[in-house]
Amino acid sequence: MSSSGPGDEMAGGLDVPSARRIVDSLPLAVFGKDPANEFRFVLWNRKQEELTGISQKDAIGKTDFDLFPHDEAKAFRKADEAVVRGGAAFEIPEERIDTPTHEVIWLRTLKSLVEDDSGQHRWLLGISEDISAQKLAADELVRTSKVLQTTQLQLIQAEKMELIGRLAAGVAHEVKNPLYLISMGLDYFKEGIKPDDPNLPILVAEMSDALDRADKIVRGLLDFSVDKGLDLADSDLVSLVDRGLHLVRYDLTRSGVVVDVDVEDNLSWVIADRSKFEQVLVNVLTNAVHAVEALDGADTGHRFDLRMEMATVDFEMPDEGVRGCQSLRLGEPAVLLRLRDTGAGLPEGDADRVFDPFFTTKDTGKGTGLGLSVVRKIISLHGGHISLRTRGDGQRGAEVQIFLRPAANSGG
Amino acid sequence: MSDKKDTPIKVMLVDDEAGLTTLTKMSLERSGEFIVAVENDPRKAVERARHLQPDILILDMVMPGMDGGDVAAQIRNTPELAQMKLIILTALVSGDETTGGTASIAVGGEGYRALSKPVKLELLQQTIREELESV
Repeated sequence: MSSSGPGDEMAGGLDVPSARRIVDSLPLAVFGKDPANEFRFVLWNRKQEELTGISQKDAIGKTDFDLFPHDEAKAFRKADEAVVRGGAAFEIPEERIDTPTHEVIWLRTLKSLVEDDSGQHRWLLGISEDISAQKLAADELVRTSKVLQTTQLQLIQAEKMELIGRLAAGVAHEVKNPLYLISMGLDYFKEGIKPDDPNLPILVAEMSDALDRADKIVRGLLDFSVDKGLDLADSDLVSLVDRGLHLVRYDLTRSGVVVDVDVEDNLSWVIADRSKFEQVLVNVLTNAVHAVEALDGADTGHRFDLRMEMATVDFEMPDEGVRGCQSLRLGEPAVLLRLRDTGAGLPEGDADRVFDPFFTTKDTGKGTGLGLSVVRKIISLHGGHISLRTRGDGQRGAEVQIFLRPAANSGG
Repeated sequence: MSDKKDTPIKVMLVDDEAGLTTLTKMSLERSGEFIVAVENDPRKAVERARHLQPDILILDMVMPGMDGGDVAAQIRNTPELAQMKLIILTALVSGDETTGGTASIAVGGEGYRALSKPVKLELLQQTIREELESV
């Protein structure tokens, strides 16, 4: 008995016509080719007809080159030859097919070899699954994820603009002093300049110095306001903290707050986005100052502790979903920044909620309530961790702890 | 009151910004009408004032470590200085600077003459004279 196709064989208990009907009505596209005869099609089920828009009648006996665009047919042939050569199954996880009816579909195809009676590989079998829907969904997911990331960055920037609004008042006041000095100098000159006046060089030096200070004050704010995407780089934490303190200098002075900064020797640099980390510092420092202002009859002489040191992550980093970068893990070395203030402290039982969006202990109209949630997001983008708790040493006030990834090379 | 025409008016200036106090001192002393002692550390201001016994004290409001309000309060609580004339110099006063920017500031329940920075030399001089003439 010679066989001319897989359909003529007995198929385990089923009569051949029934077996054929089953193959024909599978929800998967099934096709078969004859490697000994130019890979012409010998099997072509209904689903395959549906997917390709080519009827069984038109397909049987033809090759890929007769049915599909040349480039596609070439690709199919290459895969077929590889399967025959290798003698093993071959999966094509996704391929794009342009059907004769000018549709685009995505298929996941498994090609394998079917043996004949003598155990030789005789037929090439192909099973295809239409994954167009999944592919569309996956692409949509990627698109949505990108939109989400953009939106997050926009939110971070919006929160920063609010901070800048508050800092601007401080900058305006700070700039008045150098301007005043220059104005006094000019008044002095207006009264007459005597070449041998010993005050002259001092005046000029002071005025020049004042100009530099004014420039630095304004530049600090301008640099801070620039909108950039996320740009993580090796950074000197001490220098970042310095800039952050400088930005909020006016608020600190006005509330009678002095910040004692302590840095461990040989502190590693950190991986940070300079501008966004400054935003975190400004936010955290401003909150601390507000906490002091919230105290009734506040005495002056508030001293905050700001300490930077190496530490080991001794807690499970919470899983905040997909991150764009690596993050710190339990047991890993980190750079720790701790700020302890002498303000009103945290409300009872709210320590966990402070980072929730819109949670606020401030009066309505004061702030958006988004500050800390944005701060947490920024730190998360840094692969780090932030926590806020009541001071552990018995004094009134709160403590912020920020863990950051150490840089591989400590620059400087 | 009028023999002050010949002897310079003794001014004490308390402000943490050294550049500013240097220039203010230079400007005020130029004409010989005033002689200025400068104190950049607000915490030392009261002690210094007791020693110097200036005719008038010019006080900055916003200073790190101890603000002008505290200095003013301390002065009022010091018997020898209780009657000291005080002028507040500050960036905080929201006065109309084009008309001279003088106002009154209430500190610790008392009203003081206040000038907003930046202040013209003439206005400063004039204000000092007026304060000293008032009772």
